[in-house]
Amino acid sequence: MTLTRSVAAVPLVIQVTLRQLLGRRRTILLLLLAAVPVLLSIVFWAAGHASVHDFAVSVLDAVGVTLLLPIVAVLFGTAAFGAEIEDGTIVYLLAKPISRWAIVVAKLVGAAGMTALLTVASVFVSGAIVLAPLGEDGAAATRAFVAAMIVGSICYVSVFLVVSLFTRRALLIGLAYVLIWEGALSNLLPGIANLSIRQYSVGVANAFWQMTPEEARLSPSTALPLAVVVVVVALVIATWRLMRFELPGGSD
Amino acid sequence: MTAQIAPDPAPDENSVAPSSGPSAPAIELVNAARWYGNVVAVNDVSFSLGPGVTGLLGPNGAGKTTLLHMLAGFLAPSAGKVTVLGRSPHRDPSVYRQIGLVPEREAVYPFLTGLDYVRFNARLQGLPNAEVASRDAIHRVGLDDAMDRAIGTYSKGMRQRAKVAGALVHDPQILLLDEPFNGMDPRQRLAMMDLLGQMAAAGRTILFSSHILEEVERVGTEILVMVAGRLAASGDYRAIRALMTDRPHTITIRSSDDRRLATALMADPAVFAVELEKDMLSVRTAHLSTFRRLIAGASRSAGVRLFEVVSTDESLESVFDYLVRR
Repeated sequence: MTLTRSVAAVPLVIQVTLRQLLGRRRTILLLLLAAVPVLLSIVFWAAGHASVHDFAVSVLDAVGVTLLLPIVAVLFGTAAFGAEIEDGTIVYLLAKPISRWAIVVAKLVGAAGMTALLTVASVFVSGAIVLAPLGEDGAAATRAFVAAMIVGSICYVSVFLVVSLFTRRALLIGLAYVLIWEGALSNLLPGIANLSIRQYSVGVANAFWQMTPEEARLSPSTALPLAVVVVVVALVIATWRLMRFELPGGSD
Repeated sequence: MTAQIAPDPAPDENSVAPSSGPSAPAIELVNAARWYGNVVAVNDVSFSLGPGVTGLLGPNGAGKTTLLHMLAGFLAPSAGKVTVLGRSPHRDPSVYRQIGLVPEREAVYPFLTGLDYVRFNARLQGLPNAEVASRDAIHRVGLDDAMDRAIGTYSKGMRQRAKVAGALVHDPQILLLDEPFNGMDPRQRLAMMDLLGQMAAAGRTILFSSHILEEVERVGTEILVMVAGRLAASGDYRAIRALMTDRPHTITIRSSDDRRLATALMADPAVFAVELEKDMLSVRTAHLSTFRRLIAGASRSAGVRLFEVVSTDESLESVFDYLVRR
């Protein structure tokens, strides 16, 4: 098993993953979700008196980073392996002489790429509608939340990939994490910011556009290394799990 | 593979010694077992296979798929040893250069065309000329006309053929197929059987599971029979039949004088029973080879001409029925 063959397999698996993830129903649902910040932007623009801070915090952060990003990530992240395990096509990847890390990396790139594409597009269009006319501060806020979406996409998807390799209820667990841990508990218990992907995302955004300590609890210099650690650990666990992946015996 | 019937199930007594061949076997199981909690799926199974086609038979729940998944490296044995080409296939992806696997589950990426799917397999195998190999594999399974259509539009039989093409595109030494003929029409089945026969003749080791006896009988004579997780028998099914000494063989005979021949045969201790029917004689004997010698002499001395001598229960169905009911 050569490194070259494993590396060459990555784009092939990414292609199949993308086509698999872009099922009609899932795509329509996610496009509708991505349209929510854009619709809110139109409302802000129509109202005509938005400040950069108000819009960034109440739409890009509260709706984009808190809701859109994790929901898109959980849907793509859990489906990347989950759908293949569910329908049995995972065997066509596993019965190949390629390293398991190559399959994990390909799934991560495919699912995180789709998540980032959708969420960044949503932020970018929203920013163009409301923030672009507001000068450099508006442009900086847009850049900040684009960065947050990219970091958050990679981080969330890598975690949800791992969960989907351990349980068939990954979607449920992912949604519970997003709504309960990040949605409720992180507001009540500020100390868990170090274990919140949302906080890593807005922490990175903080490097481009200044937020208050209540809005971004982690500094960029803390948030980015933590995000990197989460992704690396998730990749290692996912590869370890895939190496031990067992197919059931079936009815025979 | 030497024909063997495992003794009646009794703890630690049903293992079949692996047959020894002139070279190392392509597939070898030594006292292999696999259980899930308290459920035993495969129990103390030993056999070895070399080049050729072998049918893996057994009723539903016998452990066929578990056995194939162990051979394909997707399940670790709970006990015993499983080796493919001399090494354990578990957690060793490099073994898939030499293994082609057709899983039982039907799903194939529905958005890919047949050619795309086979090419995907070829490229993941790292074949230097994936395009040529893919088209060749498509041709071998007879999917040329449909290769540019999405697999989602394929019939069940076409999907099966696409799966087989994907599994053999890298010309593996070992082909493991789980119910490969499912959904194929009779013509497709015959073509697939021919293909497996050609691959076996070219020195490949092919193990396919089926619960349809006709399929196994048409492809080859070597069988492994799984019953309730145990290997009930292995080898040439005709030789296995010959070993079933506790079940007499039934032979029907048509001759110029059935009554006179019956009298002559009854005198021999190898014959258990003789029954005169409308226009034939039905004879039961424990030893087929002894009887074959006996019938020639008995008919000659009785002055009776033999028109037809047929062993009615040497079919695979008869063997399978016996082993499952034992």
